[in-house]
Amino acid sequence: MWQYRELIINLTIVDLKKRYESNILGFVWQFLSPLLLAIVLYIVFKNLFAQEEFFAIKLLVGIMAWRFFSITTGACLASIVSKSALVTRVFIPRKILVFSTALSGLISSLFEFIILIPMIFVLLGPVPATIALYPLIHLLYFPLIYGIGLLLSALYVYVRDLNQIWPVFLQMLFFLCPIIYPLSIVPPWYMTYYMLNPLTRLILIYRDVMIVGKLPSIEDIAVVIGFTALALLLGNYVFGKLERRFAELI
Amino acid sequence: MNAIIVDKVSKRFRIPAKKKTTMFQYVVGFMKRQYNYEELWALKDVSFVLKRGETFGIIGKNGSGKTTLMKILAKVMYPDTGSVTVNGKVAAFLGLGVGFQPELSARDNVYLYSSILGIGRRVAREKYDAIFDFAELKQFENVRLKNFSSGMTMRLAFATAVHVELDTMLLDEVLAVGDEAFQKKCIDKINEFREQGKTIVFVSHNLQAVRNLCQRSMLLHNGRIVSLGDTEGVIKEYQALRS
Repeated sequence: MWQYRELIINLTIVDLKKRYESNILGFVWQFLSPLLLAIVLYIVFKNLFAQEEFFAIKLLVGIMAWRFFSITTGACLASIVSKSALVTRVFIPRKILVFSTALSGLISSLFEFIILIPMIFVLLGPVPATIALYPLIHLLYFPLIYGIGLLLSALYVYVRDLNQIWPVFLQMLFFLCPIIYPLSIVPPWYMTYYMLNPLTRLILIYRDVMIVGKLPSIEDIAVVIGFTALALLLGNYVFGKLERRFAELI
Repeated sequence: MNAIIVDKVSKRFRIPAKKKTTMFQYVVGFMKRQYNYEELWALKDVSFVLKRGETFGIIGKNGSGKTTLMKILAKVMYPDTGSVTVNGKVAAFLGLGVGFQPELSARDNVYLYSSILGIGRRVAREKYDAIFDFAELKQFENVRLKNFSSGMTMRLAFATAVHVELDTMLLDEVLAVGDEAFQKKCIDKINEFREQGKTIVFVSHNLQAVRNLCQRSMLLHNGRIVSLGDTEGVIKEYQALRS
């Protein structure tokens, strides 16, 4: 893929330009929509979870971390089918199409998080020093999303209602993560399974680093890396198998 | 030195009686045990060898397998049986302006298209003026592509494409571009490539162009080679087949 780096950069830039140039508010919306969602959820749940510390900002960090996953996997899903000319009419490694889409999702998400920092300052006062680790966590998060993106994009060529199924799955996953509720309401008997979700771990890591000022535990990192490895292996394997007939099926 | 070796290549398309593209249809098809499909051999036992520096024409009716063969040579599709060996770097033009973005300016599109064709930004920058001179679009370099006419877009695509310097070129119906004057310019450019010793595979319905450009040609019919050899003889057979 290295020899195609210029193409990857170009495709990523095109993707970002399309994302922001097509509407007037452009980048403002990118930040406004999660903020509005957070405000609505805060109003709805603030009485229920009033005892929870820093509920508002935790909600916002959780939503941002979630958005990176949901938006980027959704974009990756369509990345092969929507760029059919680049699949059927010219030879480039097809993984590039997924990779550049994931990359533009990463860049968007980085910007969102950067805007989050002054908000933490306003709501909390001094920002913990561990916040410097947050780009590293994003880099840990990225390959997980890319691996899932590879899997989804390849399957979508064959199974065209995946774009209906995946959002439903995302909706389920959203409620399986501690975004709108604190971890303390999860029943103890269920906790072991609950904590196996890598997104739960990532959301907790972001909150630890950005709000609480705590380093992530080895266990958190291990779960994330384990799932990332699995997603990358499976994604690459399935993509490699299905890729051979892309040009015929698109 | 051989540039392209095609050995007993066959390509089969399966056309299911009922096309399944959604999860729902897969499930229904599985339960009803619907697996029947028709087979269509787009290519059957196609073999030929091209020497380096040769200009080779492929002619045939619509649906004879020309484009499928070009796609296999370009590695976009894989053959079901047989093998294809291509020495050197290949530039495939199976459609001009692949990946062009209407929202971007002509300049950005030239750089994007070059990178899709596999040349770096540094080389593209060197060729930049030559590309716009050839396309005769210098005054429009900052205009967004969506405001171009289709002829202008194609001229820009062809101009970018011909400035990519690779060993082997696959040209599928590229002459269907622009007016007569521009077509002549294209043929001159292809002749220039021949003199530089590039290998060219040329697919066209324009028999006059095939006659002028290619020493050897091949006639495909229903995925099989009907005749292969001296261009004049192959064109005669094609005309006999058509009448």
